[in-house]
Amino acid sequence: MSALTKSMHPDEKYKAGKLGAQLAKVGVALAVVFLGISLVLTLAGSADPNSGHASKWARFFHAYVIGWSYIFSICVGMLFLVMLHHLVRGRWATAVRRVAEAMSCAFPIVFIAGLGFIIPLLAGYEDLYYWAHHDAHDPILNHHLHHKLGWLSPGFFAARYVIYAVIFSGLANYFHKKSKQQDESGDAKISETMRIASAPAMILYSLAVFAASFDILMSMAPKWFSTIYGVNFWASACVGGFAALALMVLGIQRTGRLTRSIGPDHYHDIGKWMFAFTFFWAYTAFSQFMLQWYGNMPEETHWYKYRLFGEWQWVSIAMLVGFWAFPFVFLLSRWTKRIVPSLVFFAVWQLVFHWLDLYWNVMPSYDWLEVAQGGTVINAGPLNGNIAYHHVGFSPVDITVWIGLIGVLLIGIGRNLKGNLIPTKDPTLPLSLSHEVM
Amino acid sequence: MSDHDTHDHEPVVTNGDGELYGVLAEYDTPGELVAAARKVRDAGFTDFDCFSPFPVHGIDEAMGIKRTILPLLVFGGGFTGTILGILLQWWTNAYNWPWNISGKPTWSIPANVPIAFETTILLSVFTTFFGMWILNKLPQVWHPFFRLERFGRVTDDAFLLGIEAKDQRFDLEKTTALLKDAGALEVERCYLETDPKRKNMPRWITALIVSSTAFALIPFAIAAKARNSHSSEPHIHIFPDMDFQPKFKADTASDIFADGRANRGEIQNTVARGTLDADDLFFKGKENGDWTQGFPKNIEVNLDFVKRGQNRYNIYCAPCHGYDGRGEGPIRQRLKAGSLDWAIRNLVAPPWEPGGHVVRMPNGQLFNTISNGYATMSGYASQIPPRDRWAIVSYVRALERASNSLQNDVPQADLRDMPAPQAPAPAGAAGSGSGSAAGGSK
Repeated sequence: MSALTKSMHPDEKYKAGKLGAQLAKVGVALAVVFLGISLVLTLAGSADPNSGHASKWARFFHAYVIGWSYIFSICVGMLFLVMLHHLVRGRWATAVRRVAEAMSCAFPIVFIAGLGFIIPLLAGYEDLYYWAHHDAHDPILNHHLHHKLGWLSPGFFAARYVIYAVIFSGLANYFHKKSKQQDESGDAKISETMRIASAPAMILYSLAVFAASFDILMSMAPKWFSTIYGVNFWASACVGGFAALALMVLGIQRTGRLTRSIGPDHYHDIGKWMFAFTFFWAYTAFSQFMLQWYGNMPEETHWYKYRLFGEWQWVSIAMLVGFWAFPFVFLLSRWTKRIVPSLVFFAVWQLVFHWLDLYWNVMPSYDWLEVAQGGTVINAGPLNGNIAYHHVGFSPVDITVWIGLIGVLLIGIGRNLKGNLIPTKDPTLPLSLSHEVM
Repeated sequence: MSDHDTHDHEPVVTNGDGELYGVLAEYDTPGELVAAARKVRDAGFTDFDCFSPFPVHGIDEAMGIKRTILPLLVFGGGFTGTILGILLQWWTNAYNWPWNISGKPTWSIPANVPIAFETTILLSVFTTFFGMWILNKLPQVWHPFFRLERFGRVTDDAFLLGIEAKDQRFDLEKTTALLKDAGALEVERCYLETDPKRKNMPRWITALIVSSTAFALIPFAIAAKARNSHSSEPHIHIFPDMDFQPKFKADTASDIFADGRANRGEIQNTVARGTLDADDLFFKGKENGDWTQGFPKNIEVNLDFVKRGQNRYNIYCAPCHGYDGRGEGPIRQRLKAGSLDWAIRNLVAPPWEPGGHVVRMPNGQLFNTISNGYATMSGYASQIPPRDRWAIVSYVRALERASNSLQNDVPQADLRDMPAPQAPAPAGAAGSGSGSAAGGSK
C-alpha cells in the first residue's frame, strides 16, 4: 500500500440504515408543527403588520418565498459541488459526495413545496408579486413595468417554474443515480461518463439558477433589474449549501457512521469553500451596489434607497458585518476550519445570515403604497413612498415558516439517505480517504 | 565535531580536503524518507533537511518543522495594502487635488473599494512571493551538498536526508549508524573546500553585478538631469520616421499646390453629396431673410413632436439649463458647490423680466442659437439633426407656456388639491412665478 492512498477502514459503518427515515421523521415533525403555527398565526391575523395589502396572507406568502428560496438554495449549492467535482475530476470530496448528492436530490420535494406559492399565484392571488396585481397594468403609474408583464404573468411564470423543477431535479437525480450504479458495478467508466455529462450540465445549471433567481426573487421588485443578481444569489446559495453540508456530515458522524473516513482535512476543505463563497458573495454584492451607486439612476437606485436608509439600513449593516466581515476575518485562519466546533459555529452562523440575505432581498418589497388617483385608490406596489414608513416589521411568521420549510428540506434529504453513505467503488475514493491539506 | 581524518570503516566518497560539512543519506521511497526523518528528529537533531523531487505529505510533521508564519505576514501585508490604497485615494483626490467626478463626494468609500481591493491583493501577493523567498533563504545559488554526484538526482528520483556536522548531536559514526538503521541505501560524507580562492565568488560575476547595476541607473540619471535643467536643443527623435511622416496635416503649408496650402477646399461650383441644405427655413430658421416666427412647413407640431423635443432637451440642454429651463441645471449646481458661479440663460423667464428675452426671440433665432451657439454656449448642429433641433424649439415653447401659466389653465378636475385662488398677481405673473432671474453671459 502506497502512502498516498488509503482504502476504507474494514470496520467503517457506511450504510445509512434507518438514518434517512429518522431524518425524514424529524423533518415531518418540524414541517407540521411550524407550518401549522404559521397558519394559525396568519388566520388569527397576528402575523401581519399589513402594509398596503388587501389580503392578510401577504406576510405568510412573503415569508414562504424566503423560506422556499432558502431550501432551494441549499440544494443549488450542493448540486454545484457534485457537478464541479465531476467536472474537474476532484478527489478530496469523494468521501462526502454521496451526502451532497442526497442533499441535492431533495429538489423534487422542494419544488413540490414551492407549489405553496405557485398555486395561489395561478389562482389569482395578487398580494405576493406586484406584477400579478391588477394595478400593475396601470399604464401611467407603471409604464416602466408595462413591457415586462408578458414575461411576468402567472401562467408563464408557473410554466417556467415547472421547467426549473425538471432541470434541477433531473440533473441532481442523474448524478446520484449514476453514482449509485457505480456502487453496484464498480465500473470506472461511469466516472468518465459523469465527467463528460457535467460540462453541459453545468451550463444548463447556471442558466437555470440565473433565470430562477430573476423570476422568484428579483421580480419581487419588478421595476428593478440587475444582471449580476443571479451570481449574487448563487454565491449566497453556495455559502448556505456548504455550511449545511458541514452540519450534515457532522450529524452523520455523530450517529457513528463514516467516522473513520471523514476527518479534519475534509472539514477544512468544506470550510474553505464556505469561506471562498462568503467572500465571493461580498464581491458580487458590492459589484451590484457600486455600479448602481455610481450610475445614480433612479430606476436602479430606488432598490438600494429603501435598503440603505430608514430602518432597513441596520439590516444592511448587519449583513455587511455578519455575512461578510466577521466570518471573512475569522475563516481566514486554518484552525477555525479544522477545529470542528469552530467550523460548526461558523456554519450555523452563515446559515442564519444566508437566510437574512434572502430576507433582505425580499422583505423590503413587502410594504406596498396605496395612492389616490383621480378619485380612486390604486396600489403603486413595493419600494414607493416615504422611507420613514418602511419598517422592517419583523413578524414571528417569518421564522416559523422558515423552520417549517427546513423541515421540508430534511424530508427531501432523508428520503435519499439510503444504502451507502459513501461512493464505495469510486476510483478516486482512496485518494479522498487519504486526503491531506498541506 | 568529528575529525575528518578518521575515515576508517565506512566506504565513503571524499570530495574535498576541508572540514566535514555533513552526511547525506539516500532512501528508496518517500515513505522511508518520512520514517527516517522522524527517527532523526526523535534523536534530537535540528540541523538537518530532507530533499525530494516532489512535495512529500507529512514530511513537515515528521521533521518537526513548525508551521510557517507566512500567512500572518500575508495578512499584515494585505491589511497594509488596504490602508495604503485608501490613503492614496484620500491624498490624491480629496486632499492634494480635490476633483469633482460626477458630483460624487471627493472622498467616498464605495468608490475607493475597488482600488483598495487591488492594493490589498497586490501587497498580499508581494508578501507571499517575497516572504516565501526570504523565509526559505532563497535564492541559494550554491550548497555544499552540490559537491556530491548523488545530489544531482534530487530533482529526478532521489530521496535524500542530510545532517550538518555543526549539529550539537552530530557524531560521525553514530549518526551514520542511525541513518543506516533507518534504512539508508547509502550514507555519504561531504567535505568543504580548503582552498580559499575557490570559495570566493569569481571576479567576473562581481564585475557584472556592479556594472549592470550602474547601467540600470543611467535612465534615472537622465530623467533627473532633464527635470533639473533647461535646454534649447530640439527633442531627440528616436523614431524619426514616425515623428516626420510623409503626409500633410490640416492647415499646413505645401509646395505642391499653387496656393501653397495643404488644404484642398471645396471645389468651386460644386456641392458635396448630402450638404446642399438649400431650404433656408428648415436649415437656418430664416424666412425672407428674417428669423421665422413659426415652424418649417415640413414639420407638423403635435404631441409626439413636442415629446421628442422633451427627450432631446433633457439630454442636451437640461445639464445646463435645467429640466425646467430656469438655468439651474446640474452643471450650474456643481459650479455653485465649488468656488465658481456663472449664470446660465433662463429660458422661461416672462418677457418683461431681465432674463426674459429668450421668450421674446423668434423661433428661427432660437433654432439658430441651438445650431450655432451663443457666447460661451457652443453650437449643437453637429450633434442634433435639424428636425430634432426644431423639436427642441417646440419643447422650449411648451416649457415657457407651462412656466408662465395661470391657474385658469389647470383643468377643473385637477384643481381639487390646489389651494384656493389668491388675489391676481400683477399682469400674468401668477402661477409658479419665474424663479431666479438669470441674465449673464450665456
